[in-house]
Amino acid sequence: MRRGAWLLLTALLLGLLLASLAFGELRLSPAQIWEGLQGRDELAHTVLWNLRLPRAIVAISVGAALAASGTVMQALFRNPLASPDLLGVSSGGALGAVLALAAGWGAKSLFAVPFCALLGAFLAVALVLMLAKQGAGVERLLLCGVALTALLGAGTSFVLSLSAEQFDRASSMVFWLLGGLEDRTWEHVVMAAPGVLVGCLLLLPLGRPMDLLALGEGGAQSLGVDVKRLRWKLIALSTVLTALVTAVAGLIGFVGLVVPHLLRLLVGPGHKRLLPLSMLGGASFLLICDLATRLAPGQLRVGVVSAMVGGPFFLWLLRRKP
Amino acid sequence: MTGFGLQASGLSVPGRLEDVSFALPKGCLAAVVGPNGAGKSSLLQALAGLLPTAGGVRWQGEALAKIPALDRGRRLAWVPQELRAEFGFLVRDVIAMGRFAHGDDDHGVEAVLDRMDLRPLQHRPLTRLSGGERQRVFLARALATEAPLQLWDEPLSQLDVRHQLEWLELAKALAVAGGTVLMSVHDLRVAHCMDQVLMLDQGRLAAAGTPEEVLTPERIHEVFGVRARLGETMILDLP
Repeated sequence: MRRGAWLLLTALLLGLLLASLAFGELRLSPAQIWEGLQGRDELAHTVLWNLRLPRAIVAISVGAALAASGTVMQALFRNPLASPDLLGVSSGGALGAVLALAAGWGAKSLFAVPFCALLGAFLAVALVLMLAKQGAGVERLLLCGVALTALLGAGTSFVLSLSAEQFDRASSMVFWLLGGLEDRTWEHVVMAAPGVLVGCLLLLPLGRPMDLLALGEGGAQSLGVDVKRLRWKLIALSTVLTALVTAVAGLIGFVGLVVPHLLRLLVGPGHKRLLPLSMLGGASFLLICDLATRLAPGQLRVGVVSAMVGGPFFLWLLRRKP
Repeated sequence: MTGFGLQASGLSVPGRLEDVSFALPKGCLAAVVGPNGAGKSSLLQALAGLLPTAGGVRWQGEALAKIPALDRGRRLAWVPQELRAEFGFLVRDVIAMGRFAHGDDDHGVEAVLDRMDLRPLQHRPLTRLSGGERQRVFLARALATEAPLQLWDEPLSQLDVRHQLEWLELAKALAVAGGTVLMSVHDLRVAHCMDQVLMLDQGRLAAAGTPEEVLTPERIHEVFGVRARLGETMILDLP
């Protein structure tokens, strides 16, 4: 099962990557993809390099980052139902992005909105940490995060309602809030992928101490884990990961909650395995959601699809838990 | 007293502990007793360096607060009263966590599994254990550290009588081998068979010394509000 999970998820990810290069308005065969990637087929080349490849890479980065971040939050808060947005990262990012769009910066530069989202995300977490004060227990941190998330959400709604009369701005805000991968370019890849890769690589060696942390802070500390330091590292990495992907893809819910939870059921709670497998699983999950938005009729957004899959799953988990 | 062991001087935690000072030698089995809320858990946590405290804790003459976390993990083990099990780690994996500070995952785990009677449960997830079984797993994890200083918060509270007696035997063996074992207990009759007893009352150290010195009927009446007398009672021993 354990080795099987590795093979299965890697194969799944590669298969989905291939599928996300092949499917869309223009359907490409594996041979055409091969030709197109090498530039021998003009049309396929354009579609692949300008549209599908950057979009797939952004999807993989977003999925991997959210799932990794969710795994971290679940260990940190010792709660298998914790998710990456607990400390206000996503709501801060949303407010930042919506403000940037309200100011009309969205049309001026491709980088303006992601930058403001990133700034909002970091400011929100900094505020939560400040309010909860250093060294305070995780429960307090959680409550501060919940309170600030509500406040920031209200701010976002306020900005949105102020802009309701300017139709194009309001609709771009709503689109951003729904989360999406449409028209993602190499600029988005450059903004998110390297940071996500580094963040994920830095997380991997923390699997073992995370196991101990997940069974209680005091016990972990007495067994030799520098809990304070580990906690900061985990919060910092999870914040950076979530902030980066929120900046390039908007709000995408439930990946960070569902993927680690599902994989924990399959391979057990040990983070040495769970972390990398969650990254693979999250990337696959988002590629599936993205494919669904492309193949289904109408205007489905990836954030909508992930929540539509994630929501019922969450309810099922709640029902299962006595 | 033979050699430096555990020394606490002026240990204070606002609202919980007030100016607690004592010394325990190496090779000593000791009990912390006191009524509910007297500060037993706080004392053990403070000794383990898990609470911000005024005053100092020394182990073999060295200030514990100055020892780096990983190094400290090899010298002391603390078992909480409240055992968490939100995640279904396997019993065997939890015990192997005791080797974190040593970096050799499996060393001695086999022996601990046998000693703690946990082999039949080794592949069971923590979430599917009874309270007493879980307590044994966390105690086994502390044992796997091979740390000379063992601090256990009510280790016997959920164990059945046989496992209680076995665990006390084991604690005695650790003390004989040169370790310092300090545990909080509610049963004063258990405390009576140990080398040293610390009695807490409302965050202060009411008395410290041998059981005979500390557990006098007068003091028990004063601190616990019950009358103590020696008499005939059922005695339970391991076969």
